[in-house]
Amino acid sequence: MSEPGVREQIERAFGYRGHVTLWHRDGTKLVGFVYDRGAAHVEMFDEQATTRIRVPIAEIASIDLSGEDSAAKAQQIWERRRGSLEPPSTSAWGDWEEGPTLFLVALPIELRSVALAIGSNHRAATVRGWLGERRAVALAVGPGGGAADAVEAERPRFVISCGFCGALDASLGSGDLVLASTVCDETGDALGVAEPVLRVARDALAGDARVVEGEILCATRVAATRAEKQALARPGRRAIDLESWSVARAARKAGVPWLALRVVLDPVDVELPAFTREARRSYVAYAARYALGGPRAALELVSLHRRARTANRALARALLRLGPAVSDLGRAGRTT
Amino acid sequence: MGIPLAQMLTVARYVIRQRIARRERYPLVLMLEPLFRCNLSCTGCGKIQYPTSLLKKQLSVAECLAASDECGAPVVSIAGGEPLLHPHIAKIVRGLVERGRFVYLCTNALLLAQKLSELEPDKHLSISVHMDGMRAEHDHSVCREGVYDTAVAAIREAVRRGFRVTTNSTLFEGADPERMRQFFDEMMELGVEGMMVSPGYSYDKAPDQDHFLRRERSHRLFARMLESPKRAWRFNQSPLFLQFLMGKRDFECTPWGNPTYNIFGWQQPCYLLQDGYVRTFRELMENTEWSKYGHASKNPRCQDCMVHCGFEPTAVDATFRSAKALGATVAAMVTGQL
Repeated sequence: MSEPGVREQIERAFGYRGHVTLWHRDGTKLVGFVYDRGAAHVEMFDEQATTRIRVPIAEIASIDLSGEDSAAKAQQIWERRRGSLEPPSTSAWGDWEEGPTLFLVALPIELRSVALAIGSNHRAATVRGWLGERRAVALAVGPGGGAADAVEAERPRFVISCGFCGALDASLGSGDLVLASTVCDETGDALGVAEPVLRVARDALAGDARVVEGEILCATRVAATRAEKQALARPGRRAIDLESWSVARAARKAGVPWLALRVVLDPVDVELPAFTREARRSYVAYAARYALGGPRAALELVSLHRRARTANRALARALLRLGPAVSDLGRAGRTT
Repeated sequence: MGIPLAQMLTVARYVIRQRIARRERYPLVLMLEPLFRCNLSCTGCGKIQYPTSLLKKQLSVAECLAASDECGAPVVSIAGGEPLLHPHIAKIVRGLVERGRFVYLCTNALLLAQKLSELEPDKHLSISVHMDGMRAEHDHSVCREGVYDTAVAAIREAVRRGFRVTTNSTLFEGADPERMRQFFDEMMELGVEGMMVSPGYSYDKAPDQDHFLRRERSHRLFARMLESPKRAWRFNQSPLFLQFLMGKRDFECTPWGNPTYNIFGWQQPCYLLQDGYVRTFRELMENTEWSKYGHASKNPRCQDCMVHCGFEPTAVDATFRSAKALGATVAAMVTGQL
């Protein structure tokens, strides 16, 4: 094509609100968006809008308006619905709803690790922060339940069940991490973590010798004694918690990818105080009463507190690596 | 007047400094567009029609702050797109406020109630809520039911939390002056600090091409709407600009007054026209052929334009060009009459 012809095409491409295909004189092509032109060049963004490209006009053979014209499309949509309005129930995010990565824990104390990972302060039962460019929310929903409501309210792009667990594998100590490949309930029903999610999680946590992978059993009561834990142990079953099953079920129902990463608070041979057996929203009053039982009880609580601190730190370190990696996997906003 | 004294003094000092330095062209308001994506599809908007990959793109916090430093304008208007869709909008606002800029955070308020906790009230920050009229008119303008009510609730909450709140209304053919007067009453009752009004620009990419106001129609509409203004009404605009809208004054456009920076770079020549982009603010000021724009240029795209981004800087500059204009401004501020 002659140079005046190319210049005419450049002007049309510049006024076009869609992608174009630019053919070089050597036969290669470039798809992108023309946002400017000069006396001797054209300025473009590539198709993903990640790179600016300057193309000399002398190298251009022709330009096709190959992509959808966004302005024409907007006009057609408006013509079609002329007079009618979008309903009030339309999302406040429009086409750009990008839910947060949702971290669900049972107890407020478990939020500390997540708050560290998402760069926020731990003040209440909800912590909001960021994983890179993406929003993150952490909620303490209480032992056992509350996951479904949280998933419905937050409309997350990804859900992570995290917090403390008890070890069912004798090789695990306080602060060791269990990445769930499956979670199961007491009847044996199991939900598996999607393989692509597991792959990304494994890569993110690679090199940390304290991470093991396996099944997590979700019980309705805390397994507090060595005997109780040994009775629940099975080959491949690493840990026990109270929440991961309900989190996994809520996420699956909402069509949101999920995973569970728990940190061991009590190894198999460590017995928890009796007041921890029942699932409660807060253990403070019970712990205070227990501490009044004598020096041995008080020392037991001090030891438990130390284990909790170690566990929280280990979990925070892991979440710092895991969070950004998996949040990119989640359900995104408009993709077309 | 709906402009705080501190802001007026800062702008006055800035303009006088430019005059003393004999700068022919200087920026007054940086129009910062950190993104083009929006959660509404308004009939008169020609800003957001881009391929999805570009709509997902956004300026970083550092790019926004660098643009403000480079430009030096005392006021920054954060527009778009819907700025509250930017994940780091609070950091951008905080950075600009820390630089002493007076920031107008423009929003349709759909996400405002959710985002208020990320922002901090400050005398340098005004939340500028897009409101095109009473409930029916506004919802029609933004093509979604319930937006007016959402915005009103968000304004109430923002005012309650101590934020400065202003409104920004774009008017199109068919606007009813009486209804707009009722709208002004309603906004004042909500506790907004001031209101901004402007005719819409006839973007060639906007879906509705039938309702842009022509110049004469604009004058008639604004003359009726702003005739004998009520004492309670406060406008966050130069009185001379309002008089221009009413047809009582004639101004030429000052396209360099509100330079625009977005994901493509510095936009030539103004916020409304996209004739090209340059990488630096200096290139924008020095390499743009300004004589090709404005009413006197006979550029057809400028003939009906009376939008505040082009004429408000002219009005502000005019205020300090003669004692008569300064007197008229002061008189309008004191008496409330236009």
